[in-house]
Amino acid sequence: MDWAVIPANLPFLMKGLWVSFQLAIFVIVISFPLACVIAVGRVSSRWWIRFPSATFVNAMRSNPLILIVFWFFFLVPLIIGRPVGDFASVMIAFVVFFSAYFTEIIRSGIQSVDRNQIQAGLSTGLTYFQVMRMVVLPQAMRNMMPALVTECIIIFQGTTIAYVVGLREFLNSTFLVTERTIRPVELYLFAALVYFVVCFAGSCLARYLEKKKVRTQ
Amino acid sequence: MTEPLVKITDLSLWYEKYRALDCINTEFDSGKCIVICGPSGSGKSSLLRCVNRLEDFQEGDVFFDGQSLRECSDIAALRSNIGMVFQHFELYPHMSVLDNITLAPRWAKKKPKEAAETHAMALLDRVGIANQAKKYPAELSGGQQQRAAIARALALEPKLMLFDEPTSALDPEMIVEVLRVMRDLAQDGMTMLVVTHEMAFAREVSDEIIFMDEGRIVERKATPDFFTNPHSRRAQDFLDRILMKI
Repeated sequence: MDWAVIPANLPFLMKGLWVSFQLAIFVIVISFPLACVIAVGRVSSRWWIRFPSATFVNAMRSNPLILIVFWFFFLVPLIIGRPVGDFASVMIAFVVFFSAYFTEIIRSGIQSVDRNQIQAGLSTGLTYFQVMRMVVLPQAMRNMMPALVTECIIIFQGTTIAYVVGLREFLNSTFLVTERTIRPVELYLFAALVYFVVCFAGSCLARYLEKKKVRTQ
Repeated sequence: MTEPLVKITDLSLWYEKYRALDCINTEFDSGKCIVICGPSGSGKSSLLRCVNRLEDFQEGDVFFDGQSLRECSDIAALRSNIGMVFQHFELYPHMSVLDNITLAPRWAKKKPKEAAETHAMALLDRVGIANQAKKYPAELSGGQQQRAAIARALALEPKLMLFDEPTSALDPEMIVEVLRVMRDLAQDGMTMLVVTHEMAFAREVSDEIIFMDEGRIVERKATPDFFTNPHSRRAQDFLDRILMKI
């Protein structure tokens, strides 16, 4: 074992980790509000709003993430006639894919709020969207926080998929260093440790929020 | 002759195949307190919820202040003139009592925050819980929560108040404090439609009583008349049972 390869290549590896973080954060920040809108459509009483939202969610959830990454990396450039760029194409694919999962979490969160709350809001003259935004979603948010944090962890782990299109995220950077140094054991152990620390911290947060949720009910 | 505040014509409501309301025709004048009673499943709450179109009725129409609910394009604006109080209070648990009350005035009626809060405090004082303004609903007793919910409805400065079994979810010792608030409202001339089983309240406060059964209005009478001389057999049975005459 020669652990010196890690400090020697740390700046390069950390640059990769930063790309992973950036990807995860962009994806979360963009797909979450998007999913809120789709989720409100998903519980709408109007079929022409509900049907497209449901179709989108089901289509995305019935496909492997890697295939959707391929679509945006290979097919979209063919359609629009120019390359999208590896970071952008992966990010768009992730946003599309994970907003479907966020939608389902938010939908179950919305449905966990008593329907009478909606009626109470409507009865005071608020519009349906005002009721959703100010009455239902804040309550739903509290109920679904643990599931949302867990999904964010999955997104962070999912960023490794960007490897297939050559995006230099953390796992890809690790791979490049192993190619150069021929030290796969040390480097992959280190990579595992880094993913573990980030994800374990995340799941501790989820557990804490779960406990807090139980207490406030 | 003045127009009635609420006019209901040939109103029918179905839940799937089940007919909850069967061709209701009636009207309610301003300034009156009217109690709607009847056995459970008789359509009392459904009728109440048609008056602000929380139920989408299939046939007939309801006119509020001359405006047809069926043809109303801005139902939210219409609802903001009708206060409603629910059996289970339905305060928003993530907001303080004060925020519960100011939400609709601020967002539906575009009232400035300060004016909405001043008005809310006056209303909380009127229902006797001004000292609870900053608390969250879960920190209040059931009776206090329902009084806060009444204040929330009054904050709309409504022309009509709808009460849907406002005391059914309360412990007996808390019922009185809510009924007192309602009595004071009626005495101040508020137009009220009250679905309730509180016959003592009905007798003391209401002007008229509507008795419903199987989605129809079986009987409508001035209050003293209803208690002493109920016309229909079903109303007599109902009164005997609810007043616990054995």
